[in-house]
Parts: sequence; C-alpha cells; structure tokens
Amino acid sequence: MSAYLNTRVSLYSGRLWHAEDFDVLLRATDAEIADTLAERGLVQLVAGFGASEHAPAAANDPLSLEQRIIAQTLDETRVLIRPLNGAARNFLIYWTARFEVTNLKTLLRGKMTGERSAALLARLTPMGSFGRLDHQELSLAEDVGELLRRLEAGPYAAIVRQARRAFEQSHDPFNLDAALDRAYYEGLAQRASALESCAGPGFRNLMGNLIDRINLVWLLRYRFNYNLPPAQVYFLLVGSHYSLTGARLRELAALGSPEAVLAELPQEWRTRLDAEQGIPGVFATMDRIAAEYAVKVLRTDAPAITRAFAYLILRERDLRSVRAVLRGRQLGLPAADIRIALHQAPQEVM
Amino acid sequence: MLRAEPLVKIQLLMLASEAPDAALELARFGVFNPGSFNGKSAASEALPDLLPESPAERYREAWLEAESRLSKLLEQCGDSRPLVFPDDAAAPSLDDLQELNAWLKEVWTACLACHEGEERIQDERKHLDALEETLSKLERLNVDLAHLLRSDSLLSVNIGSLPANGLKRVSEALSMTGTLVSQFDHVGDQIFAVIAGPRTRQDEVRGLLAQAGWRELAVPEELRTHPQEARAWLENERQQLDAMSGAECKIMGGLREQFGPRLHEARLRVALARPLAEAALAGVRGKGGLAALAGWVPRRELQELRKTLESRFRGRYMLDVREPSPHEAADVPSLVRYPGWLKPFVPLVKSYGVPRYGEFDPALPFALTYLLLFGAMFGDIGHGGVILLLSLLFVRKLGRMALVGAAAGVVSMIFGVLYGSIFGYEDILEPVWLSPLHNPVHVLSVAVGFGVGFIVFTLLVNARNKWVAGHRAEALFDSTGIAGLVFYLGAASGLASVAGASIVAGISQNAAWMTAILGIVVVAGFKWYEAKGGLGERILVTAIETLETGVNLFSNTLSFMRVAAFSLNHVALALAIFTLAAGLSVAGHWFTIALGNVVIIVLEGGIVAIQALRLMYYEGFSRFFSGDGVEFVPLRLEAQVGKY
Repeated sequence: MSAYLNTRVSLYSGRLWHAEDFDVLLRATDAEIADTLAERGLVQLVAGFGASEHAPAAANDPLSLEQRIIAQTLDETRVLIRPLNGAARNFLIYWTARFEVTNLKTLLRGKMTGERSAALLARLTPMGSFGRLDHQELSLAEDVGELLRRLEAGPYAAIVRQARRAFEQSHDPFNLDAALDRAYYEGLAQRASALESCAGPGFRNLMGNLIDRINLVWLLRYRFNYNLPPAQVYFLLVGSHYSLTGARLRELAALGSPEAVLAELPQEWRTRLDAEQGIPGVFATMDRIAAEYAVKVLRTDAPAITRAFAYLILRERDLRSVRAVLRGRQLGLPAADIRIALHQAPQEVM
Repeated sequence: MLRAEPLVKIQLLMLASEAPDAALELARFGVFNPGSFNGKSAASEALPDLLPESPAERYREAWLEAESRLSKLLEQCGDSRPLVFPDDAAAPSLDDLQELNAWLKEVWTACLACHEGEERIQDERKHLDALEETLSKLERLNVDLAHLLRSDSLLSVNIGSLPANGLKRVSEALSMTGTLVSQFDHVGDQIFAVIAGPRTRQDEVRGLLAQAGWRELAVPEELRTHPQEARAWLENERQQLDAMSGAECKIMGGLREQFGPRLHEARLRVALARPLAEAALAGVRGKGGLAALAGWVPRRELQELRKTLESRFRGRYMLDVREPSPHEAADVPSLVRYPGWLKPFVPLVKSYGVPRYGEFDPALPFALTYLLLFGAMFGDIGHGGVILLLSLLFVRKLGRMALVGAAAGVVSMIFGVLYGSIFGYEDILEPVWLSPLHNPVHVLSVAVGFGVGFIVFTLLVNARNKWVAGHRAEALFDSTGIAGLVFYLGAASGLASVAGASIVAGISQNAAWMTAILGIVVVAGFKWYEAKGGLGERILVTAIETLETGVNLFSNTLSFMRVAAFSLNHVALALAIFTLAAGLSVAGHWFTIALGNVVIIVLEGGIVAIQALRLMYYEGFSRFFSGDGVEFVPLRLEAQVGKY
C-alpha cells in the first residue's frame, strides 16, 4: 500500500506549480485558462472559464472559486486516503475537517446575524464524502444557542463543547471563533502525535512548522492587534511540543512588542523575519519556510504518509496562489499588482 | 410487471397564484413525479428562456423553516392526532405560509426559552450535586472560607469549576499573572478549584477564565463562615430550582394549552404546502403571474389527469404532453407495479439498483431463481419446515420479508422431498429425484447446465435492453449482446460435445466450434471498431477485451457449481453431526443432533441465502442491469411532519 501511495504522490507532485507557471496563468487569455488549469489537474477550477473537453458541464457549476478550490483539495485527499488505514487515515481525514470547521463558523455567524437559511446554505462548502454535518438541519436552527447544542450532540462535540461554554460566559463571537480554532488544531496535533513515532522526523517537522506558524501569528495578532493580556493570549494558543513549546510561548507572550517577540525566535527564523513586514508578512515568510521544507520532504524517501502530507501542504499553497491570480484577473487588477500579491501573504484557510 | 409503465412528460402552465393548489391537486392525483425542464419538444425547449424565474424557491424556503419549527414543536408538545385532509382544502399561498412560519417562530422561540431554561436547570442540578460532594470534603478540611474569600484582602480568591481537560493550560496561563490554581476535587469531567492571585490583576484573570469556561461558585455568606451550613443552603437552592422548573413546566403547559389546537391546524397547512415545496426541488419555473410545473405521469392516467385539472381549474391552465426522448432515458423515472406476493422481493432487487426506464425489470425472474437456488442448496424437509414456521411466527416483526422466508422454507421442503432429506437423515424417505451425496457428478452437471441457461437468459435480456435503449450495435455485436451469445452457445455446445453430451440435439461438434468462432470474431471486430487510440493500443484493447469475454462467460458459468457444492455441503454437515452424536449417550446424542441442526439452520442457512443473492447479483444482474435508474417517487400528501 505504501508503494501505491508513494507512486501516487510522485505522480501528483508533477502537477505542483513553479513560480513561472503563475506567470503563464497571468498571461493566458480567458480561452486558454481552462486548458492551463486542466493540464495541472485542476478540473474543479475549470468551471467558470467556459466548458472545455476536460469539464464539459463545468459552466453550470454554481460553486464559488473558493468552494471549487476546496472541492479540488478534497478530491485529491480522497485519492491519497484510499490506501491508508489506522492513525494515518484518521489524521488525513481530520486534516480535511478544517473546511467543515469553517462551515461551522459560517453557520454560527449566519445565526448571529439572522441570515436566511437558503443564503447561508449557499455559502457552505460541500464536503462530499468527508461531510459529517447535516447542513440543511443546522441551517434551520433558531439561534446560536440551539445551533451549538445541536452541534454538541454531533461529531464535532469535542471541538464545540469548550466553545459553547466560552460563548455562554461572554457572548463574544471572538471567544467562540478562537475556541473553535484552538480546539481544531489541538485535535490535529493530538492525531499527529499518534503518528510521529512511525512517520519519521519529516512528519514531525511538517507538523511543527504548521503549529509553530499558527501559534506565532496568533500570538502577534492577539497580543498586539487585539491587545489581549499575555495570560489570555497564551491560553488561546495551541498546546505544542514543537519548537515553540509552552514555556517559550509564555515568554514570548509576555514581551512588549512584535520586534521583541521576533528577536527571541530561533535563529533560523529570525534571520528571515522582519517586524516591518507586519503579521501577514510574518505568516508569508513562515509559510515559505514550511513550503521549502515540504519540497525537501517530497524529494526524499520519507514514509508515504509524510510525503502525502507534504504534497497536500504544497498543493494547498499552490491553490491559494492560483486563487489570487484568478481573483485578480476577475477584478481586472494589473498583472504587476497580482505578482506582488503572490509574493505577499497567502490567506489562512481558517 | 416485467417492465416499467410507459410515462409521458407533462408541463403544466398556470397562474402563479394557483401553483400551490396545482401541486396539491397533483399530489392528490397520486401519480405525478416532479421533473426538471430539460425537454426537447418545441414547446418545452423554449420554456426555460420564456420562464426564467423560480417562483417556488421562496415558498420552499418558507416551508422548510415552518416544517423544521413545527417538528421541533411537536417533539415538545406532541400531537399524535391523525391528519384528515378535507376534499376542498386549499394549499396556503406564499403569504399565508410566511405568516404561519412567523407564528411558528414566535411559538418556538417561547418554547425554546422554556426548553433552554429547563436545560439550564438540569445543568444547575448536576452542578449542585457536584458541589454537595465537594462541600462534604471541605467540611472535613475545616477551611475558614470567610477568611479566604473576604473582599478587603489584597488577595483575590475565586472558587469554582472548569473542564478537567483545560486545567493544565489554565494553570500555566494563570501562572503568568502570579495566580495559583489549587484543585481540590474532581467530579465527572469537571474539576473544582480555588484560584488565588493579586487583586490588581483580577481583570486579566477574569477574561482568561471566561475563555476557559470557568464557572464561579456563588458561595453564600453563611457558607463562608460555617461550611456546615452548606447542606441547608444546598437544600434551599434545590427547592428554588424545583420551583423554577415547575414554573417552566407551567409555562410549557400553558403554551401547549394555548397553542395546541392551532398547532394541529398548522400541521394540516404545512402538509398541504408540502407538494409545491417538494416540486420546487425539481424545479418550478415562472415569470410574472405565470408558473409552470413539469414532471412524469403514466400515459394511461393522462385522461384522468386532464379531467381532474379541468374540474379544479376550469380552463385556467395549459398542459403540454410529450413522449420521453431516447436521450433522456436515464432521467425518466421507473414505475413498475408489482403484485402483492412479489413486493417482498423488490427491496432485494433495489438494493442492487433501480432499473432504468424501458429496461427489463428483474424482480420476477429474481424471485423465482433466488428461491430455486436457495432450495437447491438447502434442500431439507425439516430445515425448510423450521424456516417456514419461524417466518410465520415472526411475521409481525419481519413484515413483508416474512413472505420471502416462508417461500424459501417451502422451496427448501420441496427440494427436501426431491433429495429425500429430513433434518439431515437420508435414510427415512426415498428421494423422489436423487440424493446429492450419492450422485455428486450428476448434481454438478445439473448446476452447470442451470448456469448456462441462466447466462443465456441474461445475455438475451441485455441484448433486449440495449436494443430498446437505441444502442443497437451493442445489442447485436458486443460481448454481452447477440454476438456474445452466439459465441457462448457455440463454445458451450462444443465443450458439451467434447464431454460426450449435447446441448442442442443435432448440432455437430464442428458446427458448434464454427458458431463459437463466428461469435468471437464478430465480438473482436466490434471491439476493434469501438477502441480508440493508436494501432498498438487498439490491438491490445481488442485482444484483452475479447479474451475477457471468453474468460468471464465461462468463469461465471462455473460459479454455478457452488449450487451443487452447497447441496453436498448440507449433507456433509449433517453427517459430521451424526458422527459426533453417535459416540455419545442417549441424552448427549439427541442434544448434539438438536444443537447441530440449529447450527445448520442458522449458519448454513445464512450462508446459502447470501450465496444465492451473490449469484443473482454478480452472475446475473451485473450482465444486464445497470441499476442506475430513477425510482418513480410521486408527490403525495404526507400526514407526518419531518419527512424531508
């Protein structure tokens, strides 16, 4: 099975984008875009760019670009999961659950603003076989309280329970979102730790890059944008045993400025991070560091699950850049501006 | 019974204000399956452009909300009275439905408040239970809570609970503010703790605790000074909760009394609105004051439908009727009417798939062949009798499936007579036909012969299905069509002749082989014609697919040997039990015989039932039955809420 997965990952790796490929996409005419995307295996994204032989019915697809990007990611993850079982399978399935957590947050926000259920449903991302929530039923909940209680009786009870208590205490939507995000990533780290002994150091480092990046960006944002006290900031971060351990995060949260925080980071990050970049810039740099490492992992003979995870990280990064190009074109932005955007902050999925 | 009823596509154009009533009328009519507007007739082709709006979408949205609220309300208040639909009842208009929905929202919000209040009271009760347990520990500690909790101190002290899995993180976070957490009890998934830190940093701590789901214990004054007073205080708290719960119940009771009668009426109106809401899912088109519904009805019901519409709408409608075009065969629903005795077998067919419109419906041959195979593999008068008795005994629990069990039992008994077997004993009755144990080769030959007949039947059905669907080349020349059949019959006759038998009298061995070669050459030619790609690829595809034709047909035929194998297995199992029993005392002997027979009925009976199903699905259905048809689901008036 691992031979199959390794071969599959190697085949998929050939579809990853290089910097010059984005230039080709930028220069392509509208008529050529569908074929360019289809050549890179992005059949789900072809919709909206006219029917092609690769996706003849795509023109009628009602999904948004973002929804199609997620559909593409889910399609590929589904193929990679097929030969897996046990902890590796659980991990990749849970990896896709962050899209469902995003749906869950959309539902909660919709209920807070009293959005119509039909409009709310249209904004949710179809999860296909990965879906565990009954969108229709949840969209018909009367208010946030009823929705949270229903969610607590469902598959995301572990993620929602703490969030509900936090929300009931404060009625602050920020507390709700922060609790959901933290619970999701703690669940991911927990599932990853079950794999780390057998999936090798490569897997641990991929996870470390992900969790450390999230913790650093959240820390900077909560501490210096939202001005939360250090203790609360620390509480909202993901429990971690990677480079930024709990003790390190407490020290960083207690510092008084972003510059001071960046100055205390490990040497290999410090040389590449600059406080003047702002938080999006820090995220982009950390993302780049993680991507460089993922490329290295992909080229090694690391265990199949590690290579599959590295591929998924890189593929999602590509898809975010493809989205930037396509959105930029739709908005009629100059190519130079889109190129700048490509080198700046990729947006977080959650 | 062997094929779906001929359907016609109708498009009903009417005033938009009458669309809910039109859908209701179609639901009462009982045989209208809503469909989409993708027809090819001159009138319908232009319809989506002429009627670009979807007027029923808001209606469906309002209905879904109303239905959801109503089902939640009924869960709380209950209303089990049967719904009676008056003949002249009209469906609510969009405005009526929205008004009803708004009322249901109001009632549900009131109910929800009571419901949530009750949930909170339950939470509080659990909390008090945990607190009682905790305070009994505090009593033993003899802590001076008054000193600990006094407000003029420089120290800020909180007592409360938080989720156990968050304790470590909260402790670490609070240590950053110079605050200590001391856990003193653990009840369920909650821990009870004292938090103490500098009063100057209490604001920081408060924000963190809110995030962590901390629940402060509102410890009363008397408890602070005399922990022993706790029990009285707890008792008082409990009484207050009971009073609050009583008040909530009273409110709920009041709501039931106040809204109960209208809820029944609401149920009726929601049920009357269902047809249009459901039709909207398939698509209702419109523009301005016009709306159009599309769908399928049986051709023979058309006159009746016209009469119904005429009596209700008196000419204020336009009905466009057309035959389904060949290209939309996959979208046309299948409506097959089965006689009562066949209905129990239908779910077994449908678990494989629904036949496409126009395809041969396999329910009847399935039922007959399944029973035949089961009987042949499990032929025993006693075991069949037990299955028959059990099916009749549990008829209420098994419902319609009891008939399948009873029929299988009867056929098993008939084969028991043919095999001369009763509870495994082969020497009590003379076999009317043969004993499998003594004639294994004969039984194997019969099984293979049956397999040949069965596969010929499936090939013929497939050729017919392809022909009807307009794929005539496939019907004639493909490996599962007539050419495949010619090859199969020729090869089977040739092999039979080699083995010294003859399938069709008067056909020589050479003629049989020539027929087989002719068949396979035609199949290969068709595969070559169908294959795409370069020369090498076409040669490869043709060679492999042609080879596969032969291998598949004969491996499928040999699969039927399992029928004989299981009939032998049945006897062999019984023999094993008799051998075991023979070495035991009288009581042990009969106990072993009885237990062995139970094992045979449960274990072997189950395996044989599955094997017969497997033969039907994989050697039969997969050859001619695509199973991707659409079931005919008519609009109906549903008396129950929560159907969709």
